[in-house]
Amino acid sequence: MTPTVSASGLSLRYGGTRALDDVSLRLSGGVTGLLGPNGAGKTTLLRVLATALPADRGAFTVLGHDPGTARGRQEVRRRLGYLPQTPGFHPDFTAFEFVDYVAILKEMTDRAARHREVRRVLDEVGLADVRGKRIRKLSGGMRQRVALGAALVGDPGFLVLDEPTVGLDPEQRMRFREFIAGAGEGRTVLLSTHQTEDVAMLCHRVLVMAGGRVRFEGTPAELTARAAGHVWSSTERDPGAKAGWRTGTGSFRNVGDPPAGADLLEPTLEDGYLLTLEGAGAEVAA
Amino acid sequence: MPRLSGDLIVAVCRTLPLGLLGAAGGTGLLMAGLSRTTGEAGEWLALPLLRVAILAFAMGLVFLLDDPARHTTATVPTPRPVRIALRVALVVPVAAAWWTAALLLVPRDLRPPGADITLEAAAAFALAVSAAAVAVRRSDLTRPGPRLAAGLLTSAMLVLLFWPGRWALLVPVEDERWAAAHDRWAVVLAGAVVVGVLGAVEPLRRWYWRMVPGR
Repeated sequence: MTPTVSASGLSLRYGGTRALDDVSLRLSGGVTGLLGPNGAGKTTLLRVLATALPADRGAFTVLGHDPGTARGRQEVRRRLGYLPQTPGFHPDFTAFEFVDYVAILKEMTDRAARHREVRRVLDEVGLADVRGKRIRKLSGGMRQRVALGAALVGDPGFLVLDEPTVGLDPEQRMRFREFIAGAGEGRTVLLSTHQTEDVAMLCHRVLVMAGGRVRFEGTPAELTARAAGHVWSSTERDPGAKAGWRTGTGSFRNVGDPPAGADLLEPTLEDGYLLTLEGAGAEVAA
Repeated sequence: MPRLSGDLIVAVCRTLPLGLLGAAGGTGLLMAGLSRTTGEAGEWLALPLLRVAILAFAMGLVFLLDDPARHTTATVPTPRPVRIALRVALVVPVAAAWWTAALLLVPRDLRPPGADITLEAAAAFALAVSAAAVAVRRSDLTRPGPRLAAGLLTSAMLVLLFWPGRWALLVPVEDERWAAAHDRWAVVLAGAVVVGVLGAVEPLRRWYWRMVPGR
């Protein structure tokens, strides 16, 4: 199957900081999660793939088009939806007017068809009832959905979502997951998040980034399996653990290389993620 | 080729900072109109007041490219140069009308040579918009206007106080350097237009690393 996104050797520096370091990846249909700590390079990678920021080196294609040329970038943008980390709005626009504005900028010139499409995406993100309300009067979660609607308008083949669930309460986050799961049907979605639960619930593949590099690429089950035999419980904090925390029951959950006879636990995606980060940290330190 | 539609023009028009432009324009007209009330002092005050009016309107123009939705619309297929050009095209008739009104507010006998002072105004306006275009290209700010306005005001003060006399720009009409100063204003205008066009273009490659070999 031809990948939606194929990137090789993407590198980018901010001053002395290597934000992306020789990143290569391939993305195909469905939702791919992008995990990583702050400063891992997730947003930079998303901005590069969304053509919002050119890379210093490397090349990539999106849906067969090369954004390294002006024509190619425009073709990519015609097939792309992008929800930035901090979406901004014209607060005096209504939700409908704003999504319509983005649809106009997405070259949808037939007004009747465009308005139908705007109504469709506002329905899809659950804003049909408030489409005539000014954005300044909408809650944070609703604004986030307006931004998702703006990204979805025009039915893009590649959707880039940068931490869309940040700042949402659990109910809003659940609804958002529902929208993203729906958006992942029939298109490629790249979802950056700090929430391992988002990845566990939504994604068929996951990338883990640290220090500007991709440290893991596989399925959530494979990431979880990485921690098999590396998670154990103890009554005291285990100084040999790479990561450990006190649980609600008073025992300690440890991740790392267990001592002999340790009480091994079933690993979670988060354990696999933490173990991957610890490995990446050791590699960086070395 | 980008498709320009009536809907695009109307939508972009709605995103213009019309309130700020209106406030800047109003302040400018007030300044220009003051020369009618200054009596005999108007003879030497008219030109400085007109220049202050130009500065006031230019300070409004630095907000032209402020766009709170900038990041949300960063990757739409309508290219940034087209969106910037559209904003500029929409504001040019407003600026022309404002300038005509400002000039007409100055009594005819006190009015400086029209073509020359219009060249000064055009250069100042082009500098303001170019600075905004460069700020958009070189930063992630959604609202660079306030910083640019402060920078423009500071720059104007510095030019007034420290600009070398042999390259004088702000000279009185009777000064023998008036013609030469306006040759320089023409250069400023041309330079501002070139910088503005370069600032509006969306680069395909970052030029930062090319300036730092070996990185």
